[in-house]
Amino acid sequence: MTTHRTGRRGFLGGLLAAGIVPKPSWADAGAPRYLSAAALSDGRYVLCGIRADLDLAFQLPLPERGHAAAAHPARPEAVAFARRPGTFALVIDCALGMRIATLTAPEGRHFYGHGAFSADGTRLFTTENDYEAGEGRIGIWDAEKGYRRIGEWASGGIGPHEIRRLPGSDVLVVANGGIDTHPDSGRAKLNIPTMRPNLSYISDGAIVETVELDAALHKNSIRHLDVSRSGQVAIGMQWQGDRDPSALVATHERGASIRLLEAPEDRVRAMNGYVGSIAFSEDGTRIAATSPRGGQVQIFDARDGRFASAQSIADACGIARGGAGFTATSGTGAVARIGSGPGAAAHDGLRWDNHLVSLS
Amino acid sequence: MIRTLFAAALTCLPMLAGAEEPDPLLPRVIDTHVLPRIDALALESRDLAEAAEADCAPDAFALREAYHEAFDAWVKASHLRFGPTEEGDRAFALAFWPDSRGATPRTLGQLIESRDPVAQSADTYADMSIAARGFYALEYLLYDDTLMAAGDPDYRCMLVRTVTADIAQTAADIAADWHDGFRDTMLTPGPEARYRSGEETVQELFKTLTAGLQFTSETRLGRPLGSFDRPRPTRAEARRSMRSARHVRLSLTSLRDLALMLSAGNETLRTRFEEEFQTALDRLDAADDPVFAGVADPQSRLRLEIVQQAIDAIRETAEQDLGPSLGVAAGFNSLDGD
Repeated sequence: MTTHRTGRRGFLGGLLAAGIVPKPSWADAGAPRYLSAAALSDGRYVLCGIRADLDLAFQLPLPERGHAAAAHPARPEAVAFARRPGTFALVIDCALGMRIATLTAPEGRHFYGHGAFSADGTRLFTTENDYEAGEGRIGIWDAEKGYRRIGEWASGGIGPHEIRRLPGSDVLVVANGGIDTHPDSGRAKLNIPTMRPNLSYISDGAIVETVELDAALHKNSIRHLDVSRSGQVAIGMQWQGDRDPSALVATHERGASIRLLEAPEDRVRAMNGYVGSIAFSEDGTRIAATSPRGGQVQIFDARDGRFASAQSIADACGIARGGAGFTATSGTGAVARIGSGPGAAAHDGLRWDNHLVSLS
Repeated sequence: MIRTLFAAALTCLPMLAGAEEPDPLLPRVIDTHVLPRIDALALESRDLAEAAEADCAPDAFALREAYHEAFDAWVKASHLRFGPTEEGDRAFALAFWPDSRGATPRTLGQLIESRDPVAQSADTYADMSIAARGFYALEYLLYDDTLMAAGDPDYRCMLVRTVTADIAQTAADIAADWHDGFRDTMLTPGPEARYRSGEETVQELFKTLTAGLQFTSETRLGRPLGSFDRPRPTRAEARRSMRSARHVRLSLTSLRDLALMLSAGNETLRTRFEEEFQTALDRLDAADDPVFAGVADPQSRLRLEIVQQAIDAIRETAEQDLGPSLGVAAGFNSLDGD
């Protein structure tokens, strides 16, 4: 069975004696539908569970500003990552409301703020910077043994950011943003003239496929991604060049080349060169991309690749599938449904941080 | 005629009202803040190339003097990172720093060792790795004990002349683009233009201010400060030519000029900027540490940390107060950049 290294033992012990072994599940954490980090108005930071009705399921303290979280596929455990270039991540038991493990990046590594679990939940994979070498790494952690570090792989590029697992497999897809940074220089970007982002697929440590953008778009940093249930990958980019790029959103399927989703020019400009988060709808037919800098959420048709619609939401960044459409979060505290009927909640004391993580 | 068309367009499309007449703030910032700095950079860079032509010895007094003046001109303009400086990565070609992995000395060392003919002219050198171009590369050639003495003196002389000629060409190209189009681009926003409204142009200048403050705090000071347990004095900017604190001073002085222009008309905010910049500059003076060698000593380190804090306070004022007063949104996520 799954063992927790916490006070749950006493409770479980009694149940074990009675011959009943309940596996704690996300229902024990107040049945959250989403996870998101946030800042409170008094300057403290928290990780929140958000229910399907957009109310809070829980609110747990974080020691520093968070970025994204990775949710265990079965247990109510969330790994909350510090904002880049953080060197720690907290594993939180969301049912017990307490920290059960801390991940500390090894010497010479820092986290980028994203991670993904293996299909069976036994491994956690984290995107990391080997900053003396200037190369991306995927850290491997044993989620069965207190999140012990057990190894690392090459990420296939520089500046790996978001990482996901393809459905029905343990193939990982990584957005190698291409931007070289070093913690000794703050967040200064060291290689803009020569950056070459890519999308890499990794199977058991081997890079099984890498795709790049056309040379003219080499300054379009591939930063965020989502995967549909059929395995299509949506990528959200951040433009590092001087003028506007032709597109900031694209899709990819294994074996094909990257397909740019080209919106009308004024729509691309409205995103201000910056996609903060990207998500597929539940059925995989639509893609939503947020731009906090443009105060926009734009929707694309994932099948024909066409721009569909846009909605203005100030400081919108987090996005995830929800109902027939999407749920978006903003630094203003708003949580809004998009394309799935009316519904919004204003969490006035909270400033939602970059990413909204879907739990299903 | 244009004005008539404009008026007609405005009648039909009232939401374009912002594009009517450029805000008088913009020509003032461009003509009295931006262009003088861009022009000085071009002029001083040309003088530098001429000084190297006259005497390429790394310790030649006139060459080193010209180096300092041209480098000053760059630092004073180094926050102006949009348009002409980004075309063809020109700003990077002038200033490849920070160089976290030592690419500049490594590339220069290889050039000198192999007597690579790429250094025979500024034209061919423009295709060279940016790590071996610009002011920071030149500093190695003029002040680094190893590279100053490496290889063949004639080759090094040629390299100094080529690097300075390349700097002069890049700076001249930036200035030409500003005068031959980009000034007008900034002053004539429109629905099909690069800037759709005066607000977008103001936003560009606002970002320039906040990014400049961030770079000076996080990188110019942050790199040598490192952490308390691991200070990094050898990472100070341009320390070989004793310019580290000078760069902080020059950049703050330029950023103050820009901040005061952008806050024109808001006396409270202007006064606050004046005080906060003065605090930062006074603390820099009090630290009296030209190459930030004191980062490893707890007492002198503290004197530099409070310079950094003073710069962060200015940035906070810019983001929290100047941004909203200019109508530039600065949200929790839009500022994050990740």
